[in-house]
Amino acid sequence: MTSEKTGAWPLKEDLDKYAVATQVPVWVGGEKVLADRVVKTACPHNCYDTCGMLVYVKDEKVIKIEGDPDHPITRGHLCLKGYANVQKINSPDRVKYPLMRVGNRGEGKFKRISWDEAFAYIVEKLEDIKEKYGGEALAEYAYSGNREHMAKAVSKRFLNLYGASQTVGSFCVLSGVAGSYHTLGFQHTMSPEIWSEHTELIMLVGRNPSATNPHLYPFLYHAMERGAKLIVVDPYVTAVASKADVHLRPRPGTDGAMALGMIRHIIENDLHNMDFIAKYTHGFEDLVKLVQEWTLDKTAEVTGIPADQIKLAAEMYATHDSHMECGYGQQRYSNGHQTQRALACLAAVCGHIGKKSANYNFMDAMGFPSLSGFVACSKVSNPEGAFLRKTRMINIAAFAKAMRAAEDPPLKAVISWRGGLVSQQPYVDYTIEALKALDLFVVIEQFMTDDTDWADIVLPACHFLEQYGLHPSYWHHYNQIVVPVCQPYYEAVPDIEIWSELARRMGYEEYFPRDITGLDWIRVLIEYECNVDEMVSPKGPALLPESWCPTVPYHDYQFTTPTGKIELYSVGMEQRGKEVTGDFEPVPHFVEPDESPMATPELAAKYPLTIISQHPAFRTHSQFYNLPWIKEIEGPAKVFINKKDALDRGIQDGDQVAVFNDRGRLENILAKVSNRVQAGVVELSSGMWVKLGWSVNKLTALSYGGPREFPDGIMHEYQPFVDGNTTAYFNTLADIEKMQ
Amino acid sequence: MKNNQKIFYVDTDRCMNCRACEVACKMEQNLPAGPRYLVVTETEVTREDRDHCEFFPMNCMHCGNPPCAKVCPVNAITKRMEDGVVVVDQSKCIGCRVCLWACPFGAPQVGINGKMEKCNLCLHSLVEGALPACARACCGEAIKVGTMEEIIAYVREKYAQSCQKKLSYIRDVFSD
Repeated sequence: MTSEKTGAWPLKEDLDKYAVATQVPVWVGGEKVLADRVVKTACPHNCYDTCGMLVYVKDEKVIKIEGDPDHPITRGHLCLKGYANVQKINSPDRVKYPLMRVGNRGEGKFKRISWDEAFAYIVEKLEDIKEKYGGEALAEYAYSGNREHMAKAVSKRFLNLYGASQTVGSFCVLSGVAGSYHTLGFQHTMSPEIWSEHTELIMLVGRNPSATNPHLYPFLYHAMERGAKLIVVDPYVTAVASKADVHLRPRPGTDGAMALGMIRHIIENDLHNMDFIAKYTHGFEDLVKLVQEWTLDKTAEVTGIPADQIKLAAEMYATHDSHMECGYGQQRYSNGHQTQRALACLAAVCGHIGKKSANYNFMDAMGFPSLSGFVACSKVSNPEGAFLRKTRMINIAAFAKAMRAAEDPPLKAVISWRGGLVSQQPYVDYTIEALKALDLFVVIEQFMTDDTDWADIVLPACHFLEQYGLHPSYWHHYNQIVVPVCQPYYEAVPDIEIWSELARRMGYEEYFPRDITGLDWIRVLIEYECNVDEMVSPKGPALLPESWCPTVPYHDYQFTTPTGKIELYSVGMEQRGKEVTGDFEPVPHFVEPDESPMATPELAAKYPLTIISQHPAFRTHSQFYNLPWIKEIEGPAKVFINKKDALDRGIQDGDQVAVFNDRGRLENILAKVSNRVQAGVVELSSGMWVKLGWSVNKLTALSYGGPREFPDGIMHEYQPFVDGNTTAYFNTLADIEKMQ
Repeated sequence: MKNNQKIFYVDTDRCMNCRACEVACKMEQNLPAGPRYLVVTETEVTREDRDHCEFFPMNCMHCGNPPCAKVCPVNAITKRMEDGVVVVDQSKCIGCRVCLWACPFGAPQVGINGKMEKCNLCLHSLVEGALPACARACCGEAIKVGTMEEIIAYVREKYAQSCQKKLSYIRDVFSD
């Protein structure tokens, strides 16, 4: 079909049209090289920042990446992963050609095949499965590896035509989205440009911006130089916690109790904003009644935070113009929805909502632009004139459970792309068992990952710099369209081309025109709202429309809740609780996480340590783990353990240890005896690969955040903002021992 | 030291361990895994019952009186008069690594050719007036490279501002 490096299907476009400049001299390795072009694009990995990038290309090869200095938020800086894309896209380890499995599943033995052979195999299998079991026997597994939304809409177009099961939900954040939604209605974030100029105090909850949001720092420092105080809530001593005026360290999963204790103390001492509460909230009396039990002493006992610190933080938060920036750490527990409710209620009782100096940021609605309507996903996913059946849903927070539980029809085929099913779902061994029962497992990947080992067919995916994408940030409001900066390497093919060609060969040719680019699909998705041309290199980034990204969210105090007010008592939850099962308690109460020393004391007697697995700066989930630059900086896998726990187990700093529970065992990990974790807590960072040794998900529990319950992961009706759901990775108990 | 001498300065209050400088350095210098011109070190401190982490990006300090140059048996290491950058001439280097013994910061690295290499403040672009890659990449604006005068001005300004903050806090307290 093609020779090496030219690509199987080179893009027919002249990419020079996206050049900010051509024939640009640039330094590489101390030598001045003349780049053919430099192109502006944005990073679509799952991160708050969605950085503006300048990419230098020579001979269709990326030679250097820099931050776009004209981006108002990211201002010319990238994170380490952003720069490491030079090594990632040029890696000799990339999947270069379509591959077919020749050994047993899990052996990782493959032979090179042509694209034609790969498609023929997949089409035959899919036709067979559809005939035997019906379309619902197929599902995609797609998440945030490349988090852009355009190709996902195109894949859904195919899947809907085929009648596949729909993969819905999230495993990172929807519990918290639901918690916020039931409090404030449709939610937005306020740009850091604004609060950093006006606020007197920033309260940062469950977020380690050094790893996941580095561009927060210039704004944070600016605010602090103006005199603003910083309160950080995190069980772990992160860099940002080290810079805080007050660092509250709750026992993992008890942030909600902390917030309730703060609310009680604030009301008790008349520090709440009664005018605001009377005008803009609903259900204050119910909240007052509920928080009565949360005295400082009880809160201290449950959370492990000293009472005087809770008191100090509550008084500081209430008496300053305080802005709350929430991360997603508190969403790693089964009670994440209630925790987020409690935090939003804390902001509301103090009146810290809707002001330039005091607002509540959780996740901009752009976090789910396809759900919120900003990205008109259905225009692409539901082609006009086609007959589309309503199909069952699989909640991605329990994908492996659903794979095993699905009957009528069973799940027979999975196409995994932009995600790591094996490495990122909890309880790896359970997931692998589920995979074994499939008739067809196709993986579209850039590298030979944990997923590809189990695949029947591996298709070479493009790096994001080789294809189009649409990825509005969920933190700031500037958008830059992701454009291909260079031709795909080897036989890699852009995701939309893979899905479109598969669809054509399955007989849906009329819905997948050949002469259409990603940019055309993007126009269908957002052109009715914005001027796309202003966001495409060499132009951009451009501010998103005020209707979707208000400058000061909630400034008009109009809330899209059932009562039109901030719901301290959630009428929406009460209502939904009558329709479906789950924890729809309308006042934000505290429940212990599913697996914790308090909730499961018997298990804790055997496995007394709670594992938290933070996102390290070195990876986006499991991506980048295999790059030499990153591996070198990160060094060997480390588990952080408190001095007391180490002493109890005869472990010294630098010892090789094993971390284990009934679900699995990880060996040869370097113990770091450290004050970064408190007694009873250990930290092993997430995203390491199963086959390279230290995937924490070998140990994590099959537990998920609410409010809705769905025992086997299969649903027939689901409202994402109302029902939530998140995989509760940190509900995990384990123990550690020194290796002999 | 002449006024045109460039020095490296880290505002440790601002470094937040994102490690972007390390990879930006690798990219700019086109380095494989192996030599690390810049490493962010992490230390844990417990102060007044409070646990902290502190971070310090360490590379070559381009010392005013570089011990590595003094001990080099073949005079491969020199300090440039025009900007103070300490450079190594690889054609002279014999790979004996005595420079590493002498350097208090662990700055000298050994590449695959067995010879010493290290941070040169991105001399290639420094001479054109650009900042080194680490400083350009630093989102927290913790890494500063400039002349003594520039760095001193930065530190004095920062100190004055923190005093102002303290003074205004005292004023607030007394006005209550």
